[in-house]
Formats: sequence, structure tokens, C-alpha cells
Amino acid sequence: MSDRGTILTADNKNGMAAVSVKDLRKCFGPLEVLKGISLEAQEGEVISILGSSGSGKSTMLRCINMLEVPDSGEIRIGGEMFALKKGRHKTEPTDRRQVDRLREHIGMVFQSFNLWSHMTILENVIEAPVHVQKRNRAECIEEAEALLERVGIADKRNFYPAHLSGGQQQRAAIARALAQRPKVMLFDEPTSALDPELVGEVLKVMRFLAEEGRTMLVVTHEMAFARDVSSKVVFLHKGVVEEEGAPDEIFRNPKSDRFKQFLSNER
Amino acid sequence: MDFAFMWDTFLTLLPGLPLTLELAATSILAGGILALVISLIAVVGGPIGRGFTRGYVFVFRGSPLLVQMFLIYYGLGQFRPLLQELGLWVIFREPYWCAVIALTLNTAAYSSEIFRGGLQAVSVQQVEAARACGMSGLLMFRRIVLPIAIRQALPAYGNEVILMLKATALASVITIMEVTGLAGKLIADSFRAFEVFIVAGAIYLAVTFLVTRLLMIIEFWLSPHLRMRPPSLT
Repeated sequence: MSDRGTILTADNKNGMAAVSVKDLRKCFGPLEVLKGISLEAQEGEVISILGSSGSGKSTMLRCINMLEVPDSGEIRIGGEMFALKKGRHKTEPTDRRQVDRLREHIGMVFQSFNLWSHMTILENVIEAPVHVQKRNRAECIEEAEALLERVGIADKRNFYPAHLSGGQQQRAAIARALAQRPKVMLFDEPTSALDPELVGEVLKVMRFLAEEGRTMLVVTHEMAFARDVSSKVVFLHKGVVEEEGAPDEIFRNPKSDRFKQFLSNER
Repeated sequence: MDFAFMWDTFLTLLPGLPLTLELAATSILAGGILALVISLIAVVGGPIGRGFTRGYVFVFRGSPLLVQMFLIYYGLGQFRPLLQELGLWVIFREPYWCAVIALTLNTAAYSSEIFRGGLQAVSVQQVEAARACGMSGLLMFRRIVLPIAIRQALPAYGNEVILMLKATALASVITIMEVTGLAGKLIADSFRAFEVFIVAGAIYLAVTFLVTRLLMIIEFWLSPHLRMRPPSLT
């Protein structure tokens, strides 16, 4: 972990998927949101997850780092499975500390940025490395400044989130997630809360990351991003994987009616 | 108005100021810690915790501080043998400690509601961001939830601090010679209530003025993120 490059994610592979999801199920009350979803992301893969609202795509993504605890199913990060047990009313993690430890390796980017409002951008970025991962503060600052440089907001490091535009905040949030040196990055509709003219700057950063060979799972409505950047596209509908495949293939020859309809609506 | 007399009054009342400040500081500090515990129980304690804290707040916010002070100082005197047996009489025989206890319990009730509001107003998004990067519950509370909650609660809590400062005047009725107590004594000697209370009021006014300034400075210092102008580049 410690001798890994700042930017590269190259890690030993031993054939283990970076993220593996098996038969994921989740209900909210009587509503069954996920009805048995399986998904695998190999090291360096970029998976775009599409679907209309209510299809369960955000819930699925949030299950991967246990922000939502699935009712059943298996989730593995780099081969290690989240241990779950049946509680009195619902399924819950067996070991909170395991959840925290695995989360350290998962960078999450939220739709509404979720930067900590009382900290400057730099403080936001070094928070997890310094206080969760207990790394050397001076090194973390150096690394954070390099990351902010990469996402193009190095000059904003002493600003507070409220002083930044949405696009800048989201890029700061991406830098914050990268500072964890994650094995996988999760993006939950990262551009949906942005004004149209700010979407491009965030997508540009995400393209960089994909080109670097980072493992990314991206819930998005950006068809161009899904088509050009991702190595695999997954289309969810009503809690099941309706269609999946390489972007060239799936966009040229959509098989299911649902996906055809979805594509025609998005254009 | 007899200014020479007022100056003498001022010099007579001033020695009571340290006691006033001590009463206020002790009870605000102890009450603040107690309030934090109560508000935490209210937020994370489940139905039993919520019920307990609601009951506490109902009793101590719903009855007059003066009555609480009388109950603790005079009322508990009836149970002297029991308190002696428990070794608590050394506390309850002292008017100072009775005043501190009453003030502390009272401010804890009000402050816990203020803190509860501050804690519950911390947005789910900020909490989720903390959980997502692997923060444990305790670390998240210390680094994210508490700092945000304090900032949100501070303006309302500043009110409570000032109210407490003034509430210490009630301690004079259980024989404590703080500013108001000394004023009462001086009036009994001089029969000049107007000048004496004007001076006493002015002393409180001066102290609250300083406290409000202090609170403003703390608020300013804690909230650079709310000021519109971005800080200059370093």
C-alpha cells in the first residue's frame, strides 16, 4: 500500500476482480429495489451504469461501500468479502471495523459533492489520509497539492467549499476520494447536480482517471462518457441487469426493448 | 442622583463580581458538558434515551430556576440525616454548591436542546462522505459532526451563556454575596435602591457586553466558510 505510486493504481492482480457483486438484493420497505444483481469490475476497468430513475443504479453503487446494507448477496473488494449477518429486523455488517477498513480502499464521489463545509479544500483532501489512514501529514499535503493540481484547482486549496462553483467542488471531491489511494472509485451521478457548462470540466477529469487505468464504477446519464470512456456498460431496469456489454456493441445493437427505449429518450 | 455615592456603590459591589463570574463559569462549563451528554443520548439513545432526556428537559425547563434553587438549598435540608449518611451533606450545606447545581442542571436542559438541534442539523451528506472514506463512528463525531454542530449551535448557545450569566443573580436569594447579593445588602443599609440597582445593572451590562464581543469573535473565527469573500491566496 505505502509504496504505491501517487497516481498509478497498478496492484498485484492474482486474477481477483477489483469489485465483485453477486446476487445483490435490497428492499426499502415493501419496495424491492435490487432483485439479484451481479457485476464484476476487473482492475483498470471503467464500468458505466445506466438506467432510468428508480432502476436501482444508485442503490447498487451505495451497496458497494455499505452506505446501504444489502438484504442479501455478496460484495467483494479486491477479493475480500463484506461480512454480513442477519440482524433482528434487517441484515447488518458483522464487523463495523471491517467495513471501515474496506471503505478506505473505496473512493466515493457523490452527486452533491458532499465536501465538509467547515474545512478548506486542502483540509478536505487530507482528512482521510491523515486521520483515517494515519499517514504522515506533510506527505499527505504534498500529495494533496499534486492531486489538486491534476484536477485543476490547485489555486483554490485554501478556499472553503461554499466559495467554489459546482464543477470546482466536484473536482475537489474527486481529489478527496483519490487521496485515499483507493483500489476502486465509485461515482454516483457526479455531473447530475451541475450546470450544463460545468459538466465538461468534471468529465474531463474523469477521462484522465480512466486513461490512467483506474478502476471506476460510474452511475451516469452522460451517454458520450459511457460510450467513449467505459470498457463496459451495464443497463439496469427495475432492479435487474437488463443488458450489459462493451459500449461499441451495446450502443450499436441494443437488444432489449427497454434499453432501446431508454437510448431513444436520452438522445 | 448622587454620583459620589454611586462610585462608592460601585466599589462596594465590585468585590462580588469574581463570585458572579465564578458561578457563571462553573455552571456554564459543567452544564455544557452535561448538555452535550444529554443531547447525545437524545440523538443516539433510542426510545429509552429520548424518553429520559425529554423528561429531564421538561422538568428543568418547565419549572422556575428560583424554585429549583430553593428546592435544592432549603428543600434538601429536610433530608439532612440521609445526606450526611451518604456523605453529600458537605455539598448541600453550602449555598454556593447548591446554586451551582441548580444553575448547572437548569442550563443543561436548555443547552441540550440547543446542541440537539445543532447535531440533528448536520446534513446526511456530510456524514455519508465521512462514512464513505472509512471513518469510525467516534472519529466522525470528533472531526465532522461535532465541529459542524458547534458552528450551527453557537448563535443560540451564546444566548444561553448570557442568560446564565444574568441568572446567577438569583443565587443572592440563597445568601450568596455576589453582585446582586451585595446590592441587596447595601440597599438594606442605605435605603437607596435606585442608585444601587443602577450600578448593579451597569456592572452586568458591562460584563455581558464583553461576553457578546467574545462570542462574536469566536463565531467569526469559526465561520470563515460562511463569509462571502474567499480568503486571499497564500
